[in-house]
Order: sequence, then C-alpha cells, then structure tokens
Amino acid sequence: MADEIRRLSEELARDPASPVYLQLGEALRRGGQLDLALKVALRGLERHPHDADSHDLLARIAVDRGELERAFDEWDMVRRIAPAHLGARKGMGYVLFKQGKFAEAQTYLSEASALDGEDETVATALAMVRVKLREAGSPGDPGSRGDQGERTQPVSSLDTLDDLDHLGLFDEITEGGEHTALLLDATGLVMAGTYVTQDGRDVAQEVGAELSGVSDEARRAMRHLGLGDWSSLTVETDAAVVAMAPMRDDALVLIAASKAMPLGLVHRVLDRCVERASGWLTKGGG
Amino acid sequence: MKTNLTPIISSLTRQRGVRGSLLVDETDGVIIVATLHVGMKGPAFAALAASLYRKARLSADAAGLGGVTFLRLRATEGHMCAAGKNEMVLVVVADARANIGLIRMEMLKALERLVI
Repeated sequence: MADEIRRLSEELARDPASPVYLQLGEALRRGGQLDLALKVALRGLERHPHDADSHDLLARIAVDRGELERAFDEWDMVRRIAPAHLGARKGMGYVLFKQGKFAEAQTYLSEASALDGEDETVATALAMVRVKLREAGSPGDPGSRGDQGERTQPVSSLDTLDDLDHLGLFDEITEGGEHTALLLDATGLVMAGTYVTQDGRDVAQEVGAELSGVSDEARRAMRHLGLGDWSSLTVETDAAVVAMAPMRDDALVLIAASKAMPLGLVHRVLDRCVERASGWLTKGGG
Repeated sequence: MKTNLTPIISSLTRQRGVRGSLLVDETDGVIIVATLHVGMKGPAFAALAASLYRKARLSADAAGLGGVTFLRLRATEGHMCAAGKNEMVLVVVADARANIGLIRMEMLKALERLVI
C-alpha cells in the first residue's frame, strides 16, 4: 500500500489537476492516514468543486473521522450533483442508521434499492434497518419511498423476522461498539451476521471467500507444532483488529473491531460471539 | 549459518516460554533464518506459518483494512505469533504460559531492526 501511495503522490505532483487525487485520498483513508486523506480530498475539491466523487471521498473520510453530520452533508451534495449516485444513498442510509434514525435510514436505502435492486449490500442494509424498526416496535413504513411517495422494490425474501434472524445474530453483542461479527461455514460462505464497512459497503462475502480454508491452515500448523487444537486467530491491521475462532463442522466466527479497542476486550467479545453462534447452530440455524 | 539476523532472532527465542523463532519468506515459505528448540519441524512449520500469514493479509486487504501488522494464533497448548515486513514474516512459537503481550512488543521491535 505504501508503494501505491508513493506512486499516486508522485503522479499528483506531476499533474495537480489529475483526478488521481481520488485514488490517493482513498488509499490514504484505507491506510488509516485520515488527516492526510482529508488534505488530499480538500485540495482535490478546490479544483473539482462540482465533482460528485470528490464529495463522496470527503464523506467517506468524514465517516472514518467520526464526523457523521459532515459525511451526511457531503453525500447530500453528491446526491444533488449526481441524482442517480447509489453510494450517496447508501452512505446517507448508513449515517442515519448509526444515528439510530432507522425510519429515515430506510427511506434512503429504499431509494438506493430502487436505483439498483440487485445490489446485495443495499438489500442487507435494508434488512438490518427493518430488524431495528421491528425491534423498536415501529412499522417503519415498509413499502414507501418516504419523501417521494413512490413504491419501493420489495425485498420479499427478507420480509419476515425469521429470515432476518441470521443477519442480526450478533447485534446484541456488537450494538453500540465499533465492531462487527460474522459466522462463516467451512467453505467461506456467510451463514449469519453482517460485515458492513464504515462507508456502508457490505464486504461479508469478500471476507468469507478470503478466509475459506483458514481453519484447515491453522489446524495443520498447530498439528506440526504439537500445540493442540487452535482456539483463536487474531490479526492486527493498519485500520482494525480481526479475530476469529473455530466452530463445529469447520465453521468460523469472525469479528472486526476498531484498532482502538484493547486486544483483551476483542477476545472477550469474540468469546461471546462464539457462545451465541454455538447456541444458534444447536437450535438448527443455518 | 550465522548471519547478522541471527542475534535478533535469538533474542526472541530467549523470551520466557518461546520454543523457537523464524524469519520466513512469505512468498515461498522458505526459512531465511531460525533458532529452534530441538524437535521442532522448522521447514514444514515455516511453510504453514507463511501461508497462514498470507491468507490473513489477503483477507485484510479484501476487507479494506490495510496491511497486517501482527497475527496471533492461540491453541490449547501454546501460541504462534507472526509479524511481516517486505514480504518476510517473523514467526515465534511459544507455549501456553508465555507472556504474549511482551513477545508481541519484542517482535514488533525486532521487525524494526530487521534490514535485508
């Protein structure tokens, strides 16, 4: 990633009007260098004030900086510049979800669904919002597009609470914290939970695919060392801490937490997620 | 063969509970330098550790989490820790009583000192 950032920086230095600032800002954001990312995005915005992607980048950086209001405003600007921008609706829905404004979040996510009915991340996010609305006892106006009063595309396969149960399996444990949890089967397919990044992208399937087989690798390594069965794997990255633990039938529980979260606490949360997943599997989940 | 890397690796092996330390090429899983207690299957373990580290790195990348700075595999009777730099992986194997917090700190320091 450092090489990529260096290359993009050099390219931008050679041509300050180049749109490469978008890639550079995103690379810095993903690497956790938020102050630098913000600087790059703001400079880019000075040159390209009416570029929707510039405001989109600024919004994502703002989310990472915990500035949800600013992120919302930037995505609102994106929506005005590019009315069919899917990411803006998803982002605004995400911000409202984080703020506990589930009915409003549903409105924006429904708009996103209307723009692209096949986007799985939108379907997942909508399902999460509807779980929250049902938990809160609010009808949530499922089926309307709120301010525009048009019909939304129904997410029929996710309309019953029973179907949604797998999505909210870890909600009670992860709610309010800067962490997320997933249950993967032996082939890396997601069985329960969600893995939504701060900019509203659901990367559960990508993570699942990459992690398929990690149980086998861990077990083999431990067998060669005579250290017994593996009980957890913790990976610290530039931006977060990921911890996982094996389940029966080579399934895997995975959590991703903020880097600021103490490692000991990460393991406590992981243990609770394992307990929850075990109970769910025992009851026939998945 | 003694190299200038050996003292760095050996200092890790002297930590309480550590059974062995290895510096491994992440791409092919071959040992660059190692100090292991008798009985440890170095080459096989190096290959598995490198593969596991690589899989974790790809996963983190897929999730947009950036580079991997430290990895710890906990088992019923011990731990394996790994940290990477420039396509090399520093690996430590320790028993269950080892102080992983201290080993983690020493590994990250050692990684800073490693120059190839």
